[in-house]
Amino acid sequence: MTWLVEPLQYAFMQRGMIAAVLVGLLCAVVGTYVVLRSMAFLGDALAHAILPGVAIAYLLGGNLLVGALIAAILVALGIGFFTRGGTVREDTAIGILFSAALALGVALISSIRSYAVDLSHIIFGNVLGVGPADLWLIAGLTVLVLATVFLLFRPFFVVSFDPVMAKTLRLPVELLRNLLLVLLALTIVGSIQTVGIGLVAAMLVTPGATAYLLTRRLAPMMAISAALGVAASVIGLYLSYYLNIVSGSAIVLVATAFFLMAFFFAPQKGWVWQRLHVQRR
Amino acid sequence: MKIRAHELIGTEPARLDLENVVVAFNGHAILDNVSFEVPHGAQVAVVGPNGAGKTTLFKALVGLLPLRRGQIRIHGLPLGQHKDCVAYIPQREEVDWRFPVTVEEVVMMGRFNDFGWLGKPSPQDREAVLRSMAQLGITKLARRSIGELSGGQQQRVFLARAVAQEPHILLMDEPFTGVDVSTQEATLDLLDELRSRGVTVMVSTHDLNMAAERFERILLLKRRLIAYGTREQVFTREHIAAAFGKQALILDNIVVVDHCCPGDEHDHIHTEETP
Repeated sequence: MTWLVEPLQYAFMQRGMIAAVLVGLLCAVVGTYVVLRSMAFLGDALAHAILPGVAIAYLLGGNLLVGALIAAILVALGIGFFTRGGTVREDTAIGILFSAALALGVALISSIRSYAVDLSHIIFGNVLGVGPADLWLIAGLTVLVLATVFLLFRPFFVVSFDPVMAKTLRLPVELLRNLLLVLLALTIVGSIQTVGIGLVAAMLVTPGATAYLLTRRLAPMMAISAALGVAASVIGLYLSYYLNIVSGSAIVLVATAFFLMAFFFAPQKGWVWQRLHVQRR
Repeated sequence: MKIRAHELIGTEPARLDLENVVVAFNGHAILDNVSFEVPHGAQVAVVGPNGAGKTTLFKALVGLLPLRRGQIRIHGLPLGQHKDCVAYIPQREEVDWRFPVTVEEVVMMGRFNDFGWLGKPSPQDREAVLRSMAQLGITKLARRSIGELSGGQQQRVFLARAVAQEPHILLMDEPFTGVDVSTQEATLDLLDELRSRGVTVMVSTHDLNMAAERFERILLLKRRLIAYGTREQVFTREHIAAAFGKQALILDNIVVVDHCCPGDEHDHIHTEETP
């Protein structure tokens, strides 16, 4: 069992492990809604849209995560604003804002010469570079987002499943929709150091999609998704340590392996089960 | 605190009151200057050709679509400020049937406003859910996920949810389309029971016979209000011709109406604008 403990003797590994577990949990829970509301494209777009925020924060000498946070929330609310009343379709609005923000980010970054190393950390993540202050921020975001998801479980449930019903129950549908976008933005910002903006969409979508294959109710789906997200983070980080590969990639690959197993072998919804069922008929 | 339906009967202005309502979508008026009143406990069939704005009318009534002009009042109060509970049963195409939710959970949604967003369902809430499921004959399906059900069963789930809501006003969009005969019967039985409870009901349907036979009031719509009243008042030659145009063949005393593809109103809006 020493191989389990050995990596954790380093402080940076301990911090990395805590960060990875928190982010795996956070992404997986919020990701349930991303999967059910078909917001995968939005999640990916938001992740890329934080680049200008990071660049501006760097130029101004501020905290990069705070810059990312502001950019993500602005873009999330911008998408909500442009699609209000159906003037512009959501995927169109996402496409426009996402490319615009990415272009702005690249333009700003191209003006900074020494930025290449930091940039690659933002795109691919660097879980071993998580400092104590970053860890506090990630923990704070996790508590905030998860508490909101739990307290507003029923409103989010109804709004996601049946917005018309939500309206007849006089729920603030628009407010809840925007709040979910903000939660998504916070989640992405919390994740960039572990998996990076290039791979955060996978952490949002893959555990949720796997859990969807294994249950037929929302609350268990969330729980299974969370467990899978945490497991993928822990296993991925050990793989990254022993195989000497990038941690973000290792985590995402483990999550993908879970998904493939569920896709083929899940009871009822799995490929094998459906094959057998068809033959029996 | 919820006000029960029977406490209000006879003491209030008309339950539902529309005044010069205009609803527009992408700049085109889908409902144009619609005014009518529905008294307490009345059951109204809403009929009209495809693209007449039946679904739009219902969505405006629950506040889902903004009004360009005009007013909707419930018990004399503007939409959103009244105390009445409005339940809406959407067309089946509008529901995401892949959502991971069981029959029981859907019906329990009807009680969310009673036990609050954080509270636990009380024994009365559970009982109301069980009663509604029993009434619609879906008790055995309680733990099934809604995606596994047949069309008729799915409809009964949403009817049961509406019953559990104990609404004062119930809007049903095309409940007779694409379901089996026993579900149609269950729906009609439910309407009879709601009548005895004084619940105001509006039902959109393509079935003009059903409308004429089972509803005391009929509202004929083709983006504007063509006629509203008893079947004798509404189903006249002039009104049918005005609403259905070339889709209606009028022989001596017989009217034949050709309906295609119910349920896709929005697809038909544009074709109808260029006659």
